[in-house]
Amino acid sequence: MNVAQQLVNGIIIGHAYALVAVGWTLLLGAARLVNFGHGQIYMVSAFIAWWVMSTTGMTYALAVPLAILASAALGAIMQRLFLRLTLSQDLVNLMIATLGFGQILEGAAGLAFGPKPETLMSPLQAMVFTLGPVWFTAQDALTVAATILVFLGLYLALNRTRLGAAVRMAAEDPPLVALYGIRIARVYMSIFAFEGAAVAFAAVLIAPRTPILTSMGFEQVVMTFVVVVLGGIGSVGGSYLAGLLLGLFTTFFSALVSPAYTTASVFALLIAFMVLRPGKLAASRNFAR
Amino acid sequence: MSARLEIRDLRVAYDRNLAVSIAHLTVEPGTLAAVIGANGAGKSTLINAIANWSRAAPRLSGEILIDGHAIADKPADLLARKGVVLVPEGRGVFMGLTVEENLRAGTPAVTAGGRAYSLADIYTLFPRLRERGTTPGGALSGGERQMLAIGRALRMAPRLLLLDEPSIGLAPRLVSLLLETIRALVDRGLTVFLVEQNVPAAMAVADRLYLLERGRLVASGSVATMKDDPRIIEAYLGARDG
Repeated sequence: MNVAQQLVNGIIIGHAYALVAVGWTLLLGAARLVNFGHGQIYMVSAFIAWWVMSTTGMTYALAVPLAILASAALGAIMQRLFLRLTLSQDLVNLMIATLGFGQILEGAAGLAFGPKPETLMSPLQAMVFTLGPVWFTAQDALTVAATILVFLGLYLALNRTRLGAAVRMAAEDPPLVALYGIRIARVYMSIFAFEGAAVAFAAVLIAPRTPILTSMGFEQVVMTFVVVVLGGIGSVGGSYLAGLLLGLFTTFFSALVSPAYTTASVFALLIAFMVLRPGKLAASRNFAR
Repeated sequence: MSARLEIRDLRVAYDRNLAVSIAHLTVEPGTLAAVIGANGAGKSTLINAIANWSRAAPRLSGEILIDGHAIADKPADLLARKGVVLVPEGRGVFMGLTVEENLRAGTPAVTAGGRAYSLADIYTLFPRLRERGTTPGGALSGGERQMLAIGRALRMAPRLLLLDEPSIGLAPRLVSLLLETIRALVDRGLTVFLVEQNVPAAMAVADRLYLLERGRLVASGSVATMKDDPRIIEAYLGARDG
């Protein structure tokens, strides 16, 4: 086994996990809300980018912001659709509703794009760097750099901007936010839009690594769930670290044991964590840290 | 510009339990009206109803007017942006935000209409807050938290400041200091509607008193007349000798 190569792979995959989970982290940490259609937004974003590139000849660089905008709008629409559930923080019904919404998205995508795998082409995927015993693509480097920037940007936005303060206020005491003259529905809509945009950004960066399928959303939401729980539910720094560690764990597990049992091993890890440190499951008050 | 508050036939109920029923109440611009009453009299329900804010979503009927405009159907966030600013019981500050973040979060909308207090103004009014600028709200003492709550409200350029039990849990010296500050704001033209269990403290600063019992106004008048009301003397000030 090339340990150095596995380490690099783990770091890249770990950053990918963290990037996919960053929107959910904010959603759960700030709004105490869930979106089980998260994985399907990931899938739809990848297909939007692929579709505009293949039908209009648009470049990858232009398709990326387009997919991000479309998914941000999709997130905002979801918040409007489930407005009553979000404002009352009705977690169980919201889980069911978003799960259903995700299934509708998957069905609609299947109808629109068909069942066969497609390839989202990025010019950076073909640029390979070799450093001694390890290699990686420019797309991998971009994914790692973009993840670090997104997490750093989110941390700064939460702690240095007025919107970030509003998000932290919504996390702490939603009814009280109104007395500061802030519409809580708008804060929630911003969070949902961010979630959509962030998962789209993750999709367009990560999807070029593998063929894209309309059924690929479920796996994403499963891994996101694990990252967010291991990260301390809603902790920005915790999710980054959890994503990174999970990436290293799955990479080495696949190499040392078998890729066939990776998902099972991840859930074994999650259950062990939940049993040994149940207190960590409570959403952190300092989620912005 | 300060606001005139008028309440007509207001009824507030939780499920089928009527908590407040008030036929008529007015607060003139630039005055301080205090609603006094025992625990459970409906004081907080009343003041929250004016701001259309509650954690329990009561049913409300009747009219609440600010300068003649009906506000009862307006959401709390809009009212706050229009200068009807509530400081709820229990202070109403964010524990995870620093003092300065709490104050900055309460920046006024252009439509608020009252005097907008800058951060420097707030720190002049409450010097202790300047020293505690980077301290989280959760690490403040009760008095500091109350100063912060009022400072945040003033930042929102209120035309009508609604204060729910500002003296609760505070040392007598702090209560005097806080109420003197509130009185000074009224003397500068702000309209203040205060609900308070500490009747002597409320009497010391108010222009007009309303006595609320079981959700109904049973007496009202200037402080000069109300201080001789036997119901108030007996229940809140202690019976006088001779």
